[in-house]
Amino acid sequence: ISCSMAGEEDFFLEEKRFKQYCEEFIKHSQQIGDGWEWRTSKDLGDGYLSKTHFQVRNRNIPSDLKEKNNDNIEQMLFTRVEESLDDSQVAGVCATEEVIRYEYHILYSSSYQVPVLYFRACFLDGRPLTLDEIWKSVHACYQARLLEGPWDTITQQEHPLLGQPFFVLHPCRTNEFMSSILTGSRKQNRHTNYIILWLSIVGPVVGLNLPLSYAKLGPEQNTNTD
Amino acid sequence: GTEEPTGDTKKKIDILLKAVGDTPIMKTKKWAVERTRTIQGLVDFIKKFLKLMASEQLFIYVNQSFAPSPDQEVGTLYECFGSDGKLVLHYCKTQAWG
Repeated sequence: ISCSMAGEEDFFLEEKRFKQYCEEFIKHSQQIGDGWEWRTSKDLGDGYLSKTHFQVRNRNIPSDLKEKNNDNIEQMLFTRVEESLDDSQVAGVCATEEVIRYEYHILYSSSYQVPVLYFRACFLDGRPLTLDEIWKSVHACYQARLLEGPWDTITQQEHPLLGQPFFVLHPCRTNEFMSSILTGSRKQNRHTNYIILWLSIVGPVVGLNLPLSYAKLGPEQNTNTD
Repeated sequence: GTEEPTGDTKKKIDILLKAVGDTPIMKTKKWAVERTRTIQGLVDFIKKFLKLMASEQLFIYVNQSFAPSPDQEVGTLYECFGSDGKLVLHYCKTQAWG
């Protein structure tokens, strides 16, 4: 941990610590069947966390329905089908639910000294989602911030180890927001898994929600500092 | 006000909100919140109370080590992490990306 001139602690993550936190993370994932695994790149010996899951997404929902929750949306969609649609329109309504395959990778960035979330998404027919579709699928509660600067948030980059195009959530503020919360928990000698805390914050932005059981990892008090 | 049954069937739970870092402190910290209120609902409430803009980001943490997802209900969090009859949540105004 380095200290800045202002006396505040920075919580830059060393690569060794990254791997230790990942190990703890994987162990818990295996216990609860959350599907994360550790992969190593053949040439470089670098490792990263990886998970694939499927999400169902509603598309083409008329704007007046967007305010309602998912249960109501389904109800209203069926009502519309019965009341007013003819055959040519039914095909369009049936296409409103789509399955998307998400693949998430967590890599260590030595230049930022933080973990970075890479991901890609495609429909079941193999068609990848466009950047625009990705932005549209960001959770509603983050849309206001996203619209201010989408290019600051999610962009497409080459995966550092696989060389394939992936979407990435920009990491330059990671140290900042991690430091705010870690300063407090560190003062109380809590053991906080950096990866779990970080992923719980950034994951929901791109459809990745961590089960609550990750929050209970580690003893409440840890008398030894890291 | 209306009376509420005591014990497990109480519809509201007590939440104690604590600010992290430079985040403004709420004048009222203790709130009785409906169990079905989501984290996102709570975030919106705090932002309104602190007069933050819609685009400013606020995150809520439990155990000072985990941010529950936006759709998580506070009632569930209370069951898992509440003690002494209340749920302590930390909140932090920050930029999470860029």
